[in-house]
Amino acid sequence: MTAAYAVKNLKQRVEKIENVLAAVAAGDKDARVNSQIEDDFSGVEFAIDLLIDDLTDELDQGEKTRKELEEKLATIQQQQQTIRQQQDDLLELSSPVTKVWDNVLILPVIGTLDSRRAQIMMENLLDKIVQTGCTYAILDITGVPTIDTQVANHLLKTVTAARLLGGECIISGISPAIAQTIVHLGIDLSAINTKATMQEAMKTAFLSNNHKSSELTHDEEESLREIK
Amino acid sequence: MNEQAANRKIPIIKIRDFLIVSIQVDMHDRLAIELQAQILEELSQTGAKGVLIDISVLEMVDSFIGRMLSGMASMASIMDAAVVIVGMQPAVAITLVELGLEMPGVDTALNMENGIAMLEKRLESQNEFYNPNGA
Repeated sequence: MTAAYAVKNLKQRVEKIENVLAAVAAGDKDARVNSQIEDDFSGVEFAIDLLIDDLTDELDQGEKTRKELEEKLATIQQQQQTIRQQQDDLLELSSPVTKVWDNVLILPVIGTLDSRRAQIMMENLLDKIVQTGCTYAILDITGVPTIDTQVANHLLKTVTAARLLGGECIISGISPAIAQTIVHLGIDLSAINTKATMQEAMKTAFLSNNHKSSELTHDEEESLREIK
Repeated sequence: MNEQAANRKIPIIKIRDFLIVSIQVDMHDRLAIELQAQILEELSQTGAKGVLIDISVLEMVDSFIGRMLSGMASMASIMDAAVVIVGMQPAVAITLVELGLEMPGVDTALNMENGIAMLEKRLESQNEFYNPNGA
């Protein structure tokens, strides 16, 4: 009888604990046992409340971290997209093919060439040759510090492909370092028209142009005379 | 229907001293071989000095067609005629180069106009008495 007296309303209190636990499990973080009675059983109730407190704290902390991480991820993704876009822009910018004269296209290459860039350059140049109907294309590599076998191969491919279209490529501005590399690598550039400077290349193109079409405009004659 | 398509020939047009062949259908291997024979036959019959092959609408040229074209050039040169491939598309050029078919010895031109000018110039340099008007 005394034991029954020490713990009052045991059944209801256990039921309440069960209900509170069920509520917490369902996501109610504010549910507590909050027993007002002080006896042998209230220790258990108090401990459960404490546990729930800890648990909800942990949960809140986890939620917060997750949100922070998500935000960071979003920022990183955005940054990555920007980088990708800028890379594309750079590639686009890095191979500007311009028509400088009737029948003459110019492609100044600046910076290190990698395979991807060389590929895009090649496609751009060929498209432009077809679009404009220009026969001569000057590939100026003054701004290229070094090249490797793959890139040299790409250059060769570009020149050959241009020839297949009916165009003619002149490579100008081969630096001493590149000339050394090319010879050391054993690449045969003898089939390709190479000129020391862009000026020389343009002169060659203009003069060949001159031979091709016998009638020149007055302006062209003037400028050719200046060049000569 | 299939037989009809197979029997359809690619027209060869003779203008002055040149034969103009405009390929406007997808080339399959048999058609290519037939075309080759057809062009050579026409060359011997007409005594044309040059052949212009327009492939500007061909979106795909495989190694067989590529070889056929370069073979065509050597055969024609034995028959004293020059072959100019006209209007190759960039993608086709890239494919051929990647395949290693660089077609040495084949002349190419951006368009028909350039091709004709090229042939005329060549004939002029070969023969001082050549008159482009055919008179």
